[in-house]
Amino acid sequence: MKPNDIFSYAFSAIKLRKLRSGLTTLGIVIGIAAIVALLSITQGLQVAIASQLQRGFATDTLIVSAGGGFGVMTDSGFSLLVNDTETISQLENVTAVSAVIQRIGYLKTPTGQTIRVTIVGVDFAAYREIYSSIFVAEDGIIPLSPESDAVVVGKRISDPWSNGTLHCRAGDTVEIIWTNAATRPLRNESYIGKVVGVLQEIGGFSLGGPSDNSIYIPISKAQTFFKTDKCDTILVKMKSDDKVTIESTAKAIRNLFGGMVTVTSATAVLNIISNVFSTIEIFLAGIAAISLFVAGIGIMNIMIVSLMERTREIGILKALGMKNRTVLLIFLCEAAIIGLLGSIIGVGAGLGLAEVAIRVYDVSGFGHQGGQAGSISIAPVLTPQVLLGAIAFGLLVSVVFALYPAWRASKLKPVEALRYE
Amino acid sequence: MAIVVEAVNLKKTYMLGKVSVEALRGVNLKVKEGEFISILGPSGSGKSTLLNLIGALDKPTEGKIFIDNVDISTLKENELADLRRKVGFVFQFFNLIPRFTALENVELPMAIAGLGKDERRRRAAELLEVVGLADRMNHKPTELSGGEQQRVAIARALTNNPRFLLMDEPTGNIDSKNACEIIQLIKRLNREKGVTIIMVTHDQQLAAEADRTAYMLDGLIVKETVNRV
Repeated sequence: MKPNDIFSYAFSAIKLRKLRSGLTTLGIVIGIAAIVALLSITQGLQVAIASQLQRGFATDTLIVSAGGGFGVMTDSGFSLLVNDTETISQLENVTAVSAVIQRIGYLKTPTGQTIRVTIVGVDFAAYREIYSSIFVAEDGIIPLSPESDAVVVGKRISDPWSNGTLHCRAGDTVEIIWTNAATRPLRNESYIGKVVGVLQEIGGFSLGGPSDNSIYIPISKAQTFFKTDKCDTILVKMKSDDKVTIESTAKAIRNLFGGMVTVTSATAVLNIISNVFSTIEIFLAGIAAISLFVAGIGIMNIMIVSLMERTREIGILKALGMKNRTVLLIFLCEAAIIGLLGSIIGVGAGLGLAEVAIRVYDVSGFGHQGGQAGSISIAPVLTPQVLLGAIAFGLLVSVVFALYPAWRASKLKPVEALRYE
Repeated sequence: MAIVVEAVNLKKTYMLGKVSVEALRGVNLKVKEGEFISILGPSGSGKSTLLNLIGALDKPTEGKIFIDNVDISTLKENELADLRRKVGFVFQFFNLIPRFTALENVELPMAIAGLGKDERRRRAAELLEVVGLADRMNHKPTELSGGEQQRVAIARALTNNPRFLLMDEPTGNIDSKNACEIIQLIKRLNREKGVTIIMVTHDQQLAAEADRTAYMLDGLIVKETVNRV
């Protein structure tokens, strides 16, 4: 029998039992839709986070921190000093270095608002070079040699609701307040600063890089204000972001401090995040695959019922000279048609489901504004691999679960099948 | 005339639960090319079993069946399927596929044999014309009378130019008027087209229409008569 005849025979059998075939197909649709929706949302989230990180976390940058990384203190008592930037800047491949001192404090605006902020002391010139695309002023300027009272504020500090109601703008005088926890009783330190610039919106979040919720003051001012020479991290920009440069520079920095520092590269962090997402993806896809497994059992069920109903028909086909192999192919083809149809509809339904889920997520108030979640824009991502993989998987499950009924059908003895009532 | 079918000491034992039933107890039969033979016997005499064995639908417990001098009891499953394409079956209950039209039912054996759509459609239409159903081609079995359904079944049996037709009570499920027409059709096919026919029946009158009649009783051919030379 020719392949197209096998196909049309199988199709005619499916068409005969429209409702039952439709319900079986629905099982596959739900399974594939769940997989596609979960994967496309996870991948969308991963892309959104990775792109945010890449913006706020230049790939040619290293973050040096004492001990355990990202400023986690260790028992060794070792701390990075602001002056260490001079030693690091002597290293090969290093083009800019900035120490970062970071404290939680408050900003009192001319409108009388007191806003909780992260006060970040940085070398404006070096920081601007490191984050040239995002440490950019929308209003005012970022001076290379700032006055000691200069303050650069993040977009969310100036314009928290994105509606033009500004708390402060370039040229305003603001009060910067920090609670000195080292004194007893606790004392609020404060000074009057001048806003020289408001950053353009960065969006999302960043590890070590500029953020919309921070204010930036010159490093020398931070040292005197916070009464410290220690810094939390040192940011190092290199000539290039190739693997060799990253690794050799990181090694040189570690050697410089006798292994007492952790050097983190943006690429390494991105890799870790990517690995975490891969694990989440596998986990979610696994859960969704259970529904597909259930759908597979549905296919097996309908095929066995169909086999019993069509025993006599199989007997007729065999009496007319049909080979066992062809009977097997007809049954597998029926399952494949259901699987393929279900998978294709499932991919579409899954994408629709992902879109709806993301919209519900935004509307329900998790996002700061429409189209953004936690001020991160997420769009479902359907890679060709997921698309083809989902269809192939749906097809495979359908065919595998049809193998047993198909095999049983092919092995029916013609004389017994013809006698079947 | 060449021998088309030869059964030698054919035995078939069935197991009905724990009881074994000897359906055939050593049948010997020869059918010549172009012959119309009827096998007559009461219910349970083993005539349908014999027909199933000749048509390669079942395997004998003992003995041999030669079709065109090939012992089919030694053939494998796939070879038996190929052999069935050379045999035309007509069953008592027609055994048409209900979702297919008369034309599609007649096309089916040719589709199984791998013929192209145009060719099989043309041949199916031709055969339906031969059995007098030119105007009923696009009707489904449920829209046809018993007699018409049996004609479709006969047309279907003729599609692959079979070496012989095996008919199991071909008029057993239709009214007498239609039965008469069917038997005339069978005789015409035998006389005009030279089709070899082996027909099983329990109807003596119908059996007498054949050239020769073999009488079966309790799994044996007990007598043979020649109805016409």
